[in-house]
Amino acid sequence: MRSIRCLSLLIIILGLVIGALAQTAATPAAAAPAAPAVSAADAELKDAASKAPTTADQAKGDPGGTTTGTINDVPPADPKVGVTLPDVANQVGQNKIAVNFVWTLITGFLVMFMQAGFAMVESGLCRVKNANHTYMMNFFVYGCGLLAYWLIGFAIQMGGAAGNGNLGGLQPLASEHMLSILGTNWGIFGQAGMFLSGHPYDVGVMVIFLFEMVFMDTALTIVTGACAERWKFLAFAVSSVLMGAFTYPLYGNWAWGGGWLSQLGSNLGLGNGYCDFAGSGVVHAVGGITALAVCLIIGPRIGKFNRDGSSNPIIGHDISAVLIGCFILAFGWFGFNPGSTLGASAAGNLRIGSIAVNTMLAGCTGTFGAILYMWAFKGKPDASMSGNGLLAGLVAITAPSGFVSTVGAAIIGLVAGVLVCLSCAFVENVMKVDDPVGAISVHGTNGLWGVLSIGLLADGTSNYGGSWNGVNTSVKGLFYGGDAGQLAAQLVGISTLIGFVFTFSFVLNMVIEFFVGHRVSAETEIAGLDIPEMGQLGYPEFVFRPEAAIFTQEPVLQRQAVAV
Amino acid sequence: MAASKSQGSYFTLFLVALTVACGGVFYLSTGFGKILAIIGVVILLASLFGFFKIKPAEGKPAQKAGAGAMKALGALLSLAGWGLTLSGLHFTSSNGGRIVFALLGIAVSLVGIIYVLPAAFNKNAIWKA
Repeated sequence: MRSIRCLSLLIIILGLVIGALAQTAATPAAAAPAAPAVSAADAELKDAASKAPTTADQAKGDPGGTTTGTINDVPPADPKVGVTLPDVANQVGQNKIAVNFVWTLITGFLVMFMQAGFAMVESGLCRVKNANHTYMMNFFVYGCGLLAYWLIGFAIQMGGAAGNGNLGGLQPLASEHMLSILGTNWGIFGQAGMFLSGHPYDVGVMVIFLFEMVFMDTALTIVTGACAERWKFLAFAVSSVLMGAFTYPLYGNWAWGGGWLSQLGSNLGLGNGYCDFAGSGVVHAVGGITALAVCLIIGPRIGKFNRDGSSNPIIGHDISAVLIGCFILAFGWFGFNPGSTLGASAAGNLRIGSIAVNTMLAGCTGTFGAILYMWAFKGKPDASMSGNGLLAGLVAITAPSGFVSTVGAAIIGLVAGVLVCLSCAFVENVMKVDDPVGAISVHGTNGLWGVLSIGLLADGTSNYGGSWNGVNTSVKGLFYGGDAGQLAAQLVGISTLIGFVFTFSFVLNMVIEFFVGHRVSAETEIAGLDIPEMGQLGYPEFVFRPEAAIFTQEPVLQRQAVAV
Repeated sequence: MAASKSQGSYFTLFLVALTVACGGVFYLSTGFGKILAIIGVVILLASLFGFFKIKPAEGKPAQKAGAGAMKALGALLSLAGWGLTLSGLHFTSSNGGRIVFALLGIAVSLVGIIYVLPAAFNKNAIWKA
């Protein structure tokens, strides 16, 4: 009995040991990773890959465009595995950025073409004896501005502008110099991007550089028109280089590069901070106000004013060039405003159609405003003022184009068209400033009006993907139920343009006046600047009429020439 | 005399100076950068001296010196207006108050730009002769 019990116990123990061993052996088997499960998405991707047209199919041609562009065009990270969901997601992300790159570049190319429009408008409004000189200023300002902007201007303006998701983040531009005032940090100037070297040697940075550069050049070329027919080419070149290097980029940083004006909303609760969608203030008002500063220094052309202060019209030589130039500018403006979304995909960028229509409408009502004003009050629908009316409407809608409805755009343009006529008369007859092309009124006065109009007419329907200037609401003006904070921010921007930008430009150009001298000699001015300054006439086969026959005030010209 | 070889030479020097100075700023954290910046400034001063030297040879323009003190006053008024606007941002926290300060600032700046500066420049204008 005893031996049976021992045997039973031995069997039980043996059973337990075998069972335990079996359990131990079974556990790792259960914990071993299962064969990779094929997700439904991956299965569908593989299915799509198997159904995609083969090379043999594609060799037959695709006249209907139905088999070109398939899953086979998505590059897999691992060709052995094939296309996976992360591959598709990466491709979608790159497609978004690619669409935005292409959009921003092409609209930038349109803005670049505006230089041709400016050249035609400005030269057409000048006398034939200065045509070559005026064209050359518009030509050379492109190079002067570009060089200065590449050297240092871009870094000052956009060196702290990181964070734009449309262009891939622009993270290499994350160096804004901040100033702490009463415990609040304010952006003053950017520090990254000189020579586009170092970390800013980046695909996204190149795109934003090109786009911002052509905007800067637009501001520079505004000054050449206002100072035409008496600006020494050397002084123009030095002034343009310094404006592209410092004046424009500084204000550009404050408004667009993460500077203090754009922080008025997030730091002080003034609406969305200073808003300027495409540059009524940054580009046009800076250009127009600098033009006023240089015009004051350089003085009026010989024969412009009489002893009693009354003015003489000095008629341009080619109204056809002026009006064709205006159309080229209006065409380029479709790059200026819709392009300022910096993208066509995501972040509310589908508003590009609305922005383009606003641009067209404001140009249209601006033309009407100027033509009807001149026709009703002066008796003729003046051609040059009609062109300026178109441009004034376009300048004024530039800042609000992304924030207003079509009705708002039409009102802004109409006001601008009338305003440009009144402003031209004021600048000439009250201030006694000679602006041959009306640039101060078109770009300066209406640039300021455009900035102001946001505080009144922004309709609050879009904030372009979540926030504008770091504030998570849409830009809304006083007339659409917004509080007065937005209007206050816009007024601070206007005060900065008039108070700081003007003074900075004035002092800078007074220094140039001291060292270089802005104005050509009286002898050169009377002869026309083409031969003395450029060495060649714009139209060598033209026969000049005597100057006095154009003015019909021969004694005025003679007296002022003698007075020199 | 109008455009000349001297002008072209000194403008080239000016561009070289700006490029060298910017190169210096780019590498400013290094000793080489500091030297480059100093060289750039020196060349810049040389180009300005060159401009100044050839200025009289370029002929007399049709303008006479205006009132210097009034020019300074106009520029100061313009800048003071901006200062007034900025001070308003900190003196008051109400939107209405800030708008009032901004409008006052704009008005002061405009007095300097529209009234004082044109009067200063036109005081001895050729066309008044």
